[in-house]
Amino acid sequence: MMVIRLYEGNSQLNDDTVMDVVIDIQNIRKSYLLGDMEVPILHGINLLVKKGEFVAIMGPSGSGKSTLMNMIGCLDRPTDGNVMLMGKDTRSISDNDLAELRGFEIGFVFQNFNLIPRLSAYENVLLPTYSNSKVNLDNEERARDLLETVGLGDRLDHKPTELSGGQRQRVAIARSLINDPSLILADEPTGNLDTKTSTEVMDIFSSLHKGGCTIVMITHDPEMEKYADRVVHIRDGYIENN
Amino acid sequence: MIDIRQAFSLALGSIGSAKMRSALTMLGIIIGVAAVVANVSIGVSFNQFFTDELDTLGSNFIIIYSQDVNIFYDSELELIRNTPGVEGASAFNQQMAEVSYLSGTKQIDVQGVSSDAQQISNLEVEVGNFFTDKDKYTAVLGQEVADGKFDQEVAVKNYLDITFRRQDGTTVTQKFRVKGILTGEDNAFVSGGPDRDATIYIPVATINELLNVTDYGGFSANTEDSESVQAVSDEIDKRLARQLGVSARDLDNADAKPYRIFNQAEIIERLDQLADSLTILITIIATVALLVGSIGIMNIMLVTVAERTREIGLLKSLGYTRKDILILFMLESVILGIIGGILGALIGLVGSFIVETYIDIPRVFPLSLIFLGIAISFVVGLVAGIYPASRAAKLDPVEALRHG
Repeated sequence: MMVIRLYEGNSQLNDDTVMDVVIDIQNIRKSYLLGDMEVPILHGINLLVKKGEFVAIMGPSGSGKSTLMNMIGCLDRPTDGNVMLMGKDTRSISDNDLAELRGFEIGFVFQNFNLIPRLSAYENVLLPTYSNSKVNLDNEERARDLLETVGLGDRLDHKPTELSGGQRQRVAIARSLINDPSLILADEPTGNLDTKTSTEVMDIFSSLHKGGCTIVMITHDPEMEKYADRVVHIRDGYIENN
Repeated sequence: MIDIRQAFSLALGSIGSAKMRSALTMLGIIIGVAAVVANVSIGVSFNQFFTDELDTLGSNFIIIYSQDVNIFYDSELELIRNTPGVEGASAFNQQMAEVSYLSGTKQIDVQGVSSDAQQISNLEVEVGNFFTDKDKYTAVLGQEVADGKFDQEVAVKNYLDITFRRQDGTTVTQKFRVKGILTGEDNAFVSGGPDRDATIYIPVATINELLNVTDYGGFSANTEDSESVQAVSDEIDKRLARQLGVSARDLDNADAKPYRIFNQAEIIERLDQLADSLTILITIIATVALLVGSIGIMNIMLVTVAERTREIGLLKSLGYTRKDILILFMLESVILGIIGGILGALIGLVGSFIVETYIDIPRVFPLSLIFLGIAISFVVGLVAGIYPASRAAKLDPVEALRHG
């Protein structure tokens, strides 16, 4: 039944199996209540992200791209429509299960890094595993490996304040990978970085992508388009091309 | 579900990141718990002290005395002796008399008692012996009389001259031979009676003969066991009242009787009542301190939640459930409380130790008090944490991430 709906919503899926689909956004609408006025932000958006894709979602501020990111990241629920994550219908699951799904399947990278200042780089990377931990992963070894991979093997015990912006974002990337998620969701990951550091960070995303990671990146910087397989433009709550 | 050990270390880390603030927050709990612990400890110590004191005054004693003259005679003493349950009974008479030793003369309290009094009032003799009923002009001295009143120490077998005033205004002087000297003791705190160290004991028959009277100031008696003190005391009261012509309907009216009677059990009961009311007072103060302490914790936890709103949003995006967040912040609140409780218990312990040493009472500290202090602070931390933690848990992740 799920397969049928997927075929209806997304004709390009013809040649793919369901398992290759990471995110399937089906005709979602989102509106917020401002006083008693209903303000629509997203107007019926469809988006399909397949395994291994690097998708950039571009749009000016106010276009609804952050709202779309919240939907993809299962941080918020659509007013109407459905978000399928790894084949799971997120409409029917509880907030607790949704949190767990986030913990296991999605790795967030934020514009302002969102590291916990009290914790070391190593502890920040381990933070997601305190709540959701995959039994087949050795978290502590993996955390060290990931920090090594992003070039911070010698900064394990440094606090975020002792790291540069680029280094902080690399810690955040390592953190997003700790539970081996199905999807990396990056919200303006270079928004707070200078050009040189931005390039370094984007190179990490590129190599992750080459390694098979599925990445969705929200950005308003046209410079970043070149890293993506596919660019989705969003404006005023509509997708312009897909 | 969050790993509880990790949650613990996260919560501790958060508390440790704002040490000054955490310390100030704990102050209320520290004061409250210290007050509870010190109060209970001092209360227990006082109780021990009173019990010890009463034991030195004698065991299972009953005292009967009258402010009037010509109330008590030998017949009343016999009546008390013959009351079932009475082990020993003594009559007493007393006068502040002029006592001369060598060239010195002092006003000293002279108590006439019978030989039973030694055992009733627990009068321990250090040197020599207590007088027997056959002795006549024989005295037993309190420690202070022997070594502090006169220029030269009075020893056993020395002689004292005691001058009494009779009711008709004349005086009589008699030479007494010192037969024994009592063991010195700490000043009796609860006796209400004479200071034994500063008293001279002589046979009651002798003092009556010298004063030319036949009545007594009162009696002391004791029973074989502590359980029967109250019952025997009531029985003596009833018999005495009947003998002295108190009407039956006034038996329960102490004012209608020409004498007063009290016993050890009553003193203990009265002291317990005093201790209880003190405990209630300090418990109220401690409760207020704990209430203020819990409001302090709740307040600081609300501030923490507000400050860390974005962090809560992050944790939610990383997959932490509401329950995880709730546990994290409840833990933080409970840890704040318990650390405060432990410090409070220690301060209470030290404080009560100092107070008990200063006022010289036994230092009794039940170890269960520490657990009581920690249990109280645990509950305070728990209660104070509920509202802030549930507020943190309920935060919307999108809103929280956008915060500040």
